[in-house]
Amino acid sequence: MPTLTIDGITVEVPAGTTVLQAAKQAGVKIPTLCYLEDVQSIGACRVCLVEVEGARTLVASCSQPATDGMVVKTNTGKVRDGRQMVVELLLSEHDGDCQVCGRSADCELRTLANDLGIGDLRYEGEKTFRMIDDSTPALIRDTGKCVACRRCVTVCNEVQEVGGLFAQGRGFATLIGPAFAQNLSDVVCVQCGQCAAVCPVGAITERNQIEDVWDALDDPTKTVVVQTAPAIRAALGECFDYAPGTLVTGKMTAALRRMGFDAVFDTNFTADLTIMEEGTELLVRLKKALVDGEQVALPQFSSCSPGWINYMEHFNPDMLGNLSTCKSPQQMFGALAKTYYAEKIGVKPEDMVVVSVMPCTAKKYEAARPEMTASGVRDVDIVLTTRELGAMIKQAGIDFRSLPDEKMDAPLGISTGAADIFAVTGGVMEAALRTAWEIVTETPFPFPNLHVAPIQGLEGVKVASVKVEGAKGDWAFLEGAELKVAVAHGLGNAQKVIDMVKNGEAEFHFIEVMTCPGGCIGGGGQPRFTTNEVRMKRLNAIYAEDEHRELRKSHENPFVCKLYEEYLGAPCGEISHHLLHTHYFEHDRV
Amino acid sequence: MADVRSHFLICTGGGCIASGALDVSNAMREELKARELAGEVDVVETGCLGPCVQGPVALVYPDGVFYQNIKVDDVPEIVEEHLLKGRIVERLVSHAPGTERTQAEMEDIPFFNRQVKIVLRNSGIIDPLNIDEYIARDGYQALAKVLTSMTPEQVVEEVLASGLRGRGGAGFPTGMKWKFAQAQDNDVKYILCNADEGDPGAFMDRSVLEGDPHSLIEGMVIGAFAIGAHQGYVYVRAEYPLAVERLEHALGQAREYGLLGQDIMGSGFDFDLEIRMGSGAFVCGEETALMTSIEGHRGEPRPRPPFPAVSGLWGKPSVLNNVETFANIAPIILKGSAWYASTGTESSKGTKVFALGGNVQHTGLVEVPIGMQLGELIYEVGGGIPNGKAYKAAQLGGPSGGCIPKEHLNVPVDYATLQELGAIMGSGGVIVMDEDTCMVDIARFFLEFTQEESCGKCPPCRVGTKRMLEIVERICNGEGEEGDIERLIALGETISQTALCGLGQTAANPVLSTIRHFRHEYEAHIKDHYCEAGVCSTMFKARCSNACPASVNIPGFVSLVGEQRYDEALKLHRERNPLASICARVCFHPCESKCMRASLDGALAIRQVKRFMVEQEKEPQLPEILHDAENAARKVAVVGSGPAGLSAAYFLCRLGYRPVVFEAEPKAGGMLVQAIPAYRLPRVELEREVKMIEDMGTTIEYGKALGKDFTLQSLKDEGYEAVFVAVGAPQGMGIGVPGEDGPGVYDGLSFLREYNVSGKGEVGKNVAVIGGGNAAIDAARTALRLGAESVKILYRRTRAQMPAWGEEIDAADLEGIEIMTLVAPEEILRDASGKVTGVRCKEMALGDYDRSGRRKPVAGHNPDFVVEADTVIAAIGQKLDAPAVLDGTPVELNRWGYLGADPDTGQTSVDWVFTGGDAATGPASVVEAIGAGEKAAAAMDEFLTGANHAFWRRDVEPPTYFDPDADPELVDRHAVEELAVGARVTNFDEVELSWAAEVAIAEAKRCLRCDYGKYCVTKES
Repeated sequence: MPTLTIDGITVEVPAGTTVLQAAKQAGVKIPTLCYLEDVQSIGACRVCLVEVEGARTLVASCSQPATDGMVVKTNTGKVRDGRQMVVELLLSEHDGDCQVCGRSADCELRTLANDLGIGDLRYEGEKTFRMIDDSTPALIRDTGKCVACRRCVTVCNEVQEVGGLFAQGRGFATLIGPAFAQNLSDVVCVQCGQCAAVCPVGAITERNQIEDVWDALDDPTKTVVVQTAPAIRAALGECFDYAPGTLVTGKMTAALRRMGFDAVFDTNFTADLTIMEEGTELLVRLKKALVDGEQVALPQFSSCSPGWINYMEHFNPDMLGNLSTCKSPQQMFGALAKTYYAEKIGVKPEDMVVVSVMPCTAKKYEAARPEMTASGVRDVDIVLTTRELGAMIKQAGIDFRSLPDEKMDAPLGISTGAADIFAVTGGVMEAALRTAWEIVTETPFPFPNLHVAPIQGLEGVKVASVKVEGAKGDWAFLEGAELKVAVAHGLGNAQKVIDMVKNGEAEFHFIEVMTCPGGCIGGGGQPRFTTNEVRMKRLNAIYAEDEHRELRKSHENPFVCKLYEEYLGAPCGEISHHLLHTHYFEHDRV
Repeated sequence: MADVRSHFLICTGGGCIASGALDVSNAMREELKARELAGEVDVVETGCLGPCVQGPVALVYPDGVFYQNIKVDDVPEIVEEHLLKGRIVERLVSHAPGTERTQAEMEDIPFFNRQVKIVLRNSGIIDPLNIDEYIARDGYQALAKVLTSMTPEQVVEEVLASGLRGRGGAGFPTGMKWKFAQAQDNDVKYILCNADEGDPGAFMDRSVLEGDPHSLIEGMVIGAFAIGAHQGYVYVRAEYPLAVERLEHALGQAREYGLLGQDIMGSGFDFDLEIRMGSGAFVCGEETALMTSIEGHRGEPRPRPPFPAVSGLWGKPSVLNNVETFANIAPIILKGSAWYASTGTESSKGTKVFALGGNVQHTGLVEVPIGMQLGELIYEVGGGIPNGKAYKAAQLGGPSGGCIPKEHLNVPVDYATLQELGAIMGSGGVIVMDEDTCMVDIARFFLEFTQEESCGKCPPCRVGTKRMLEIVERICNGEGEEGDIERLIALGETISQTALCGLGQTAANPVLSTIRHFRHEYEAHIKDHYCEAGVCSTMFKARCSNACPASVNIPGFVSLVGEQRYDEALKLHRERNPLASICARVCFHPCESKCMRASLDGALAIRQVKRFMVEQEKEPQLPEILHDAENAARKVAVVGSGPAGLSAAYFLCRLGYRPVVFEAEPKAGGMLVQAIPAYRLPRVELEREVKMIEDMGTTIEYGKALGKDFTLQSLKDEGYEAVFVAVGAPQGMGIGVPGEDGPGVYDGLSFLREYNVSGKGEVGKNVAVIGGGNAAIDAARTALRLGAESVKILYRRTRAQMPAWGEEIDAADLEGIEIMTLVAPEEILRDASGKVTGVRCKEMALGDYDRSGRRKPVAGHNPDFVVEADTVIAAIGQKLDAPAVLDGTPVELNRWGYLGADPDTGQTSVDWVFTGGDAATGPASVVEAIGAGEKAAAAMDEFLTGANHAFWRRDVEPPTYFDPDADPELVDRHAVEELAVGARVTNFDEVELSWAAEVAIAEAKRCLRCDYGKYCVTKES
């Protein structure tokens, strides 16, 4: 255990600790920029420079191992000068239209400049080459704002293993972006937005669609309904200075109502519906495989996460058949809103506008997919991220913190705890298991507090196996079967599971994949800044929401049952097939 | 090897191949075959011999004769004369610098005989494609020794003891690096060779790879054994195809011979080596970036620690050395560390290979003991600076290095000393720069390189160097701002402290080092928009005018002469320099040394064109004058009627003043009349231009000496509002040896003044003139004309170091004056009656380089000798008795004891007193004094009126015809015509003659018109 002194404070740290981590332990705050806890500590930005006795130059504390007897100083004139100059240089290349930049409120560069006391800019000159890439429905890249911190590169290559962004060129012309300075739409980008989530400045952001929503709300001929994804309620509060993990479901509902939406609904409703459809689909696949001896694609992969779908279409087109054909809850909602609900209230689909609030940027892409028009028109018209909703509430002049808690509208706003946990990694799987178990065995789901512990938490790949006991009726063939499931979040982890399957290392029946680390609570559209600590807080909030519900299983959702009775018939039936299921396409792997 | 009587070793290094070595080689084989000599003479294509600029080069053994610049057509002659008849082909061998003396044998040539070849031991001597030739020269014996009789620890100890430091740049002890890696407990380790060699102008590693690839392989196998590696990589840039090809070939041979692969030499040790090609990113020379690149990623450095010795390539312990380092290993092992450590300095052992480039005679590759003096490296090995130019600086260490100015030519080239001076050893690139190099521009060049090659990972390097580059570019473009130098220093120093890797940490070095040694150039660019070297072309219209202290529009008047528009030409000249006729005779024409035509067929003879121009003047015409009653009424004084005073008076008149010039002597002209002999400047010419200035409104009062007949205060008391003090530096200096005082010994200035002013002068029969400047030559030639039978000039340095102008020295020579150099007077000998009988002299030799960049004369070893003389004239310098002149007026003096003044205005610390010329600068040239007079006149006017009215500084573009698309025809510079020696040494008739019109016009038309269509940013505009 090395012992070192930092600014005169002696700390003992575990071997392998960096100076930055040791300083944190000593209560010394060192500013950082390119550093991404657990993800990137490459010493690139030089903001975390410190003075180490005996070192020839200043050293980057994020990559410097703490060694025994080391003497570190973090607040000397030399350190302050070095950090200031580094940040001043970044400001000098950066297209700093802060007043109108979408990132001004949470821009890390701006905060750094402020924290370091940078007054005037001593260095002026050529700015970074500016190129706006608005080629995708989800993301906008503005190279002029990029400070080349490499966070997006690392997340895209090492966490998501997509490889859509690279450093290229040299010197001042170094450019971060898709290879050969192409647009995102020309490469394998899955539009997950993890790059936008980690970008410290406004160089990669979601495509802002706030104005489209205002236009719809202002249009008296339109019926505008909104759905909010399960992960929003555990994160939206952060836009209003609530601590991460604060649930704001009621205030969010109230805010949406005040903004003028004609109905405030919940994607949770279609999450419950997804369980009905996807669970049934799995059972059918299993039956075909085990009873009928048919060739069916197993394991079945979950299909709620559009970044994941894009990833499969780009990287594993040979396994598209393994993806559940269920649309994501967002798209199921859109299809139902403009059919079932529209008929109910007597509005033509073309006069209805469906707005989604999603923790995700890929949802913008998903909603724009040409096949997502089950209602005859585009099913989901506009997708906002959590961050955009936060901004809209502020624009509307709503004092969020003083809002009362309100309830969502029926029927499409009613849901169960199983839908809540769609927001977290392992949640879809757990929700499916809760329902599947009870359908198959007609006995209560036997897990304590209804949680399947092995698939909870932030481990990258989680596996579990459930032995079926007491299978009834049609499902008797499952009696005694070991249902093997796997859960992965983050596409790099997903690929690991796929490789396990392809290599025959492991056998699974059902695999849940969420694109973003932690699941939707860590989505690319969530308030910044999402660390593992923040993920855990949001995750706990989601489980709390679930646990406080009376109804915690999707098949218990009365309005879902009613929907089947009134409109859909049976899960995976004819109408379901038309409205709630989809198909996939192979993409070029550029 | 076949039994042959001769070997013709032709260099086939990259440089010689580029200049046609392969054709020569083929022609030689053909010729030998045709003459049926193929069995007697063997042609061997070798690696680099070093003197690349001389290529193709070849060595003929056993005679050791070195041929250079061989053309295919020369081959029959070499065969016929040398290989058949044994006669050296003299025209193809080297000559001692500045002489016709040939030095045919390699060991006679300073370029070779001062080298010590360890790394390049085989290069140029063996066929790099033949492993047997390497083995024949003890190749792979070191490896055999290691594998059969040494432990890895012993190998590391031996390398450690040798003191070998990494030759790639930073100079980290190689043995230490190996020791760290050896200590790592890991089954997989790598040994890597950096052959990326990205420094511009560096090609040491390429030469080893091309000329002796096995020396690298052997070094690497030994290194692998020492650290316990079984796989190695040579990372070589793809731009080195020949090196790659020869290394590949060598690797194949080594495998075939069992020197690579499994169970090497039956020792049980396995090791193999692969080549990895880099795509030419400079940063891939940085070790972690290089490893990242080998791993298949974008070559970017990563933070250290972990150090590569612990976690390098693919996270395994790795040792990276460069080619030159590895090439040292086998000799160290074979001959022992003590042998190796006997070469070099205390802290830097062995030799270093340098690539000499830039403005040096022998550009090429040399290997010298570490610690050789920089001056020796450049002047003795490198042959000095070509084209008679002066050394300015050497850039050592490539783009990460720094410049070493002439003040430090004395320093030993070793790691520590270079670092102290702000340079580094680097990989061994030495770029020599002469006086025509602008140091700001050089800094810009290197910074541009590093900026472009930055990997872009860290902001200090990516953005910081860009900001520095922008500032430097701005300065070069004449748009520098106050504070830019400080900004550059602050940025540079912080970048060095904050950047991620060595590239960034050293990127600012070229700027910091040039600011350190050449700050005045930065200041001149920023404050005066002046690029002394004539490089930063946005700041001037033509290099000649830029070099002219009086800023004469040279292309303008020259082109007007070319169109026979003589009056206009002269008028244009006198816009900036009134003393056209005087300058046509005595100007040392700095313009000509900057003439672009010099690179074509010889500099334009600008002074001679001027001479012809002034000869055409019929009636002196007055220039444009601003008549101003207020100015005319103001009293302004000029003290001294030398070139500075006359020039000031002239420009004051042009502004409407009516200045009074006070002159101590009875004749106007200062040094022009007192010191410069009439054979150079006929008095009628001087009088004509003085009269012109008088006609413009100047009054000259003779016999009025400042400090004697009047004082500055008395002028003020008389109502003079501004005074220009241009009293020159009129006192001659003594030599300070015994016997100096007494009759027969004169100071040069007094001697010249005596004759020039009074028309009388006497000398003895034997005259000895001491000194090497123009005054010494003038005194000597005057003495000759006054009837001396023998005139000798005694000078303590060499002829090349004489400060007098070359053409004056040549003229003295021609007139029979004996110039004795490396001679210092010790005593003036007198007989009993006190009559001078001679000068006891000491023979001098050249010692170390002094701060002026010249080798200091030091006492030689031979006994003193006597130069007989009855008259001794000591012309060793001039001075000013400033306190006497100032007589209490509190004008501050500068550090040399002259009157301190703002160089732009001539204003002194007493605001109404201005000064210029020799009084402010010490002895300088006529044209500098004229320029100073102009500046002072404009400044005095501004002082008096509050505004600058120097209307003549406007940019005038005479409408002459010029076709910018026409290719210039080659026409040699026309020679100066002179009186025959016999017709001139007995009188004071002007020696130089004017040209006939057609010659002058033809010469004028040689002007390339560099100024054509150019816009420039000057301070004045």
